[in-house]
Amino acid sequence: MARETTALSRRDVLKASGAAGAAGLTGLAGCAGGGGDSEYPALGNYPVEGDEVVFGFNVPQSGSYSQEGADELRGYNLAVEHLNNGGGWVDNWDGLSGDGVLGKTVTSVEGDTATDPDTARQSAQRMINRDNAIMVTGGSSSGVAIAVQGLCQEEKVLFQCCITHSNDTTGSECVRYSFREMFNAYMTGQALAPVLAEEYGEDLNFYQLYADYSWGQTQQASMEQFFTDVANWSQIESVPTPLGTSDYSSYLSDVPRDEADVLVLNHYGLDAANSLPQAIEAGLDQDMEIVVPLYNRLMAEAASGSIDGIFGTADWNWQLEDDASQSFVEVYRAEHDRAPSYGARIAYTQTLQYAAAAERAETFYPPEVIRELEGHEYSGAGLGSESMRGCDHQAQRDVLVMQGASEEEQTEDKLLNIVSQTSQDDLGYACDAGPAAECELGEYGDE
Amino acid sequence: MLLQSEIASILLNGLQQGAIYALLGIGLTIILGTMEFLNLAHGALYLVGAYTGLIVFQETALSNGLLYSLGITTMGFEGGFLAALVIVPAFGFGVGLLMERFVAEPFYDRPETDQLLVTFGLALIVEETIKNVIGGNTFQSIAPSTIFGVNVSQPISLPLVGLFPSWRLIIIGIAFLVIGLTYLAIERTDFGLVVQAGTRDSEMVRLLGIKINRSYSLVFALGAALAAFAGLIGASIQTLSPQIGMDQALIPAFLTIVVGGAGSVRGAIAGGLVLGVIVSAMTQTYSQWAQIVLYLFVALMLIFRPQGLFGTAEVGE
Repeated sequence: MARETTALSRRDVLKASGAAGAAGLTGLAGCAGGGGDSEYPALGNYPVEGDEVVFGFNVPQSGSYSQEGADELRGYNLAVEHLNNGGGWVDNWDGLSGDGVLGKTVTSVEGDTATDPDTARQSAQRMINRDNAIMVTGGSSSGVAIAVQGLCQEEKVLFQCCITHSNDTTGSECVRYSFREMFNAYMTGQALAPVLAEEYGEDLNFYQLYADYSWGQTQQASMEQFFTDVANWSQIESVPTPLGTSDYSSYLSDVPRDEADVLVLNHYGLDAANSLPQAIEAGLDQDMEIVVPLYNRLMAEAASGSIDGIFGTADWNWQLEDDASQSFVEVYRAEHDRAPSYGARIAYTQTLQYAAAAERAETFYPPEVIRELEGHEYSGAGLGSESMRGCDHQAQRDVLVMQGASEEEQTEDKLLNIVSQTSQDDLGYACDAGPAAECELGEYGDE
Repeated sequence: MLLQSEIASILLNGLQQGAIYALLGIGLTIILGTMEFLNLAHGALYLVGAYTGLIVFQETALSNGLLYSLGITTMGFEGGFLAALVIVPAFGFGVGLLMERFVAEPFYDRPETDQLLVTFGLALIVEETIKNVIGGNTFQSIAPSTIFGVNVSQPISLPLVGLFPSWRLIIIGIAFLVIGLTYLAIERTDFGLVVQAGTRDSEMVRLLGIKINRSYSLVFALGAALAAFAGLIGASIQTLSPQIGMDQALIPAFLTIVVGGAGSVRGAIAGGLVLGVIVSAMTQTYSQWAQIVLYLFVALMLIFRPQGLFGTAEVGE
């Protein structure tokens, strides 16, 4: 790839000057590092000692998003297996060979974020300090992702986001040491608004409930922006609900049935699994359309009887017919006897992305790995051509608009139907617009 | 929304939430009042009730499950939930008996901190066991769609309130029936007399020659059965996951008896309803303040009426 050539030449330049200058000045500790990878100074957990390299998988194993975490772990473990022994996408991705990363066997440590930013930060800190993780990855919950990526920037350890959909992750809270494959709330608004306008018409009134933390707030703002600007709808009111609410009946009682044409439920995970069925139970679907902007499998499963015809977006879906998607579905199904969720795909992709970048950089030295990821173009992650944008570390990629399947149509794996795959050409925003306008990435660590 | 209909809606939602709080509160308060035993595993009993309900509901569903495999495919109504209404409290009662004998009894004369530690530990064990045996998956709520052929999955139109989920109306009725029966059992029976006397002065009851230890077992089991029943009610309106015992039951149960007064059944009912209505009213009007106002209210109760609405100052001292 052309991209690799430029990156290589930059690395060569740095090698030449770095060995003589930067390394000599910034410390000799790195020079004592093993693995023949010692041309850079020590930074974060670089250099990697011994024959193994540790990845930290920091996922919710309890709390509102715990089921997402379980699926993410399945994706991570599959990635480790393939990185060490071949198989899956490893064979199709440049730089990866199936014999570990840079000659080292990949091992992993797991942590429980409890879907809580403080717990997640502590867990990541342990992975960095005690386990010497060279890369930390995980999510779900943007609050968690933002907390951990901030820590990773301080510690100079790469963070590969998993499920995090808040605009802030690669917007106002972005950091140099974090990369996001998943799309964001802004892109959900861009993809969803035209479809809804066509389906339900214009000049409608909408009422929002949203989870009251980083994700829900940016999600609510993006829905308001695009439903107003693109669909020409008017917002009646927007009501915050605490993360972890289990009974939404009082919130739902307050929805003005006479005025509202559309109810937007900006909830995720367990919260959505409660709010959507309760909205249906209250008969709100008889008076208005319900929209769940971000779908996930947990919610679709738990609310299976209630999702018929309801629109939303998804990161990826196992029904996509491209080779990469189907090969991932095949290996995942062989291991776990069912189709993967998108959480598993992001986990798998972000792990491979890091490994491939390290291979291209020929070092685990974080600034070099970061430079390999920035602007990297790839096409083997199941969504066609993608690029990891350098200015905000947000993947530029397609977004799927989904619709809940009817109960008769539903199977264990098939709960949603793909309505459309909105092209990245119709999505996104320039580096000086949208959430990216607020992004200042911070330092590489070798300036 | 009109003011009258807003108030009606707040009261109805508050009644439904308050019924669950009251069921939890009664169970916790009779155990605390009678034995002065602080049971942090009360939420775990709620969890046990919810999951037992889930299993009974699934296994007696006539389209699949155990009964189906035995060839019973019709009972004329959707039997899963009705079966759960009987089996879940009975199972909770049994668990309560065992818990009293093997966990609570050895700790009656130990400091409260020991009681807290052992029951909190038990709650964690129950939660982790459910995660390992049944899995950390989230399950759909287990409300039946029909009862005796009547569709209960559709909302019905009520005066002032408008459309309201009909199943929730039914569970309000069921919950208050159970609360009423429990109240009568404690107020109008000999067993209740012993329980009430025990909450005031257990030494005196013992001196009168009443075998209070047997009553202890029954009180504990009754409390457990009510918590399990609350779990079943909760599971019929919300999704189930292993953490609901801590999140949805334990804290509300303690708040309820703080408001109502430790040891008072009447207090637990009143406390549950007051809290239910506060949560409902705040959620519907100033949702962001709901939790703050709830805890502020409980804090004010602790400051200005530490014995609660119906508690006596002696209890717990």
